[in-house]
Amino acid sequence: MTFREINSKMVEATVVPGQRLFSQRGAMLAYRGEVSFTPNMQGGQGGVMSMIGRRLANEDTPLMSVEGSGTVLFGHGGHHVHVIQLTGDTLCVEADRLLAFEGTLQQGTMFLGSQGGVMGMVRGQVSGQGLFTTTLKGHGAVAVMAHGGVFEIPITPQRPIHVDPQAYVAHHGDVRNKLSTALGWRDMVGRGSGEAFQLELSGSGAVFVQASEEKL
Amino acid sequence: MGPVPSTPATATFRSVAMFRLQGSKVLAVDMTGDAVKAKNGSMVAYDGQMTFKKLSGGGEGIRGMVTRRLTGEQMTVMEVTGQGTCWFADRASEINLVRLQGDKLYVESSNLLATEAGLRTGTSFTGLRGATQGNGLFTTTVEGHGQAALTSDGPAVVLRVSPQYPLTVDPGAYIAHQGNVRQSFQSGVTFRTLLGEGGGEAFQIRFEGDGLVYVQPSERNTIAGDV
Repeated sequence: MTFREINSKMVEATVVPGQRLFSQRGAMLAYRGEVSFTPNMQGGQGGVMSMIGRRLANEDTPLMSVEGSGTVLFGHGGHHVHVIQLTGDTLCVEADRLLAFEGTLQQGTMFLGSQGGVMGMVRGQVSGQGLFTTTLKGHGAVAVMAHGGVFEIPITPQRPIHVDPQAYVAHHGDVRNKLSTALGWRDMVGRGSGEAFQLELSGSGAVFVQASEEKL
Repeated sequence: MGPVPSTPATATFRSVAMFRLQGSKVLAVDMTGDAVKAKNGSMVAYDGQMTFKKLSGGGEGIRGMVTRRLTGEQMTVMEVTGQGTCWFADRASEINLVRLQGDKLYVESSNLLATEAGLRTGTSFTGLRGATQGNGLFTTTVEGHGQAALTSDGPAVVLRVSPQYPLTVDPGAYIAHQGNVRQSFQSGVTFRTLLGEGGGEAFQIRFEGDGLVYVQPSERNTIAGDV
């Protein structure tokens, strides 16, 4: 396990030579050993084209790569940190929620319009994700940040899950999401229940939900 | 004659929503076709089938509407009905479950997250004490049999009040109380307070009688906090 949760808001990462970590720039709290932090101009992996892609997609959170040997403590803004272990599947997460992840994971950008066309784009706007989201694929661990604690809800084909877009953190697995609306005349006259839009996730995998409706 | 059933017949027929805590900040409610009242917009996730409908606090009917208008204690509530599990959370605050057995719970409307359908909510006048709590002159009451979920900024402590041991609480840290409790308002304003040399604890609420008081480890912004 590369990341060890020290408490609910801090993780300790073990760095060994030859294995690179990426973390949000400035999220290091303390370190032990010989560790170097280099700002990553490209904002992650891939070549220059990936960088341009991320810039265009507005998913270019400043990252730094962490190398050397030792242990590093990460934390940011007093947010709760949750470690997710990926075993070959894809994690979809907003770039600004990424605290740190292993270099073995493949980073990519996904256009929300590619999943559901125009509704996908509308969904991105409503849930505050924008038009693009970051994907991480492969084997390794990711530390994500959330306001309040994070809990995981498994998704099975028989059991689709609905999530408040503001409380949504990330999801992994073979999951299709769509925006479901429960708009009625009550919402039009300002008497809505405050739950007009929901993300409906179906397939098999898991979704991570935070105990709050505040964005980071 | 056969034995008399120990539980009332209605209890066996009525499907009851199950409140349970998932961690300390998330409330999970397992529902089987019944209804739960919750703070507007506090749902974070659900599975199964759910419908959300807005209600308004302060009691039912026209009387309730007038009360809400007059008192300003308008907690916007939604009624959740359906089958499955629904998760609720509110700005990452800690959640406390309270079981009511026919008694009355007084709670600040901002601290009430969810109640079972069997519980009635209303509004009551608190007077000067309410003003010092930073929550207006009125407070919400919850009555009946069932469970209610309260939120608090930090884990709340439940303090018992008994006739021998009255309790005094900072208005900003008070969240709720239940039982047969009399409350009075105390002020420790002296000439020092007027000179701006107060200890920051100029007002307190004193509870006497027999019951429970819920206190959070944090203080709301109150008038009393400044003097």
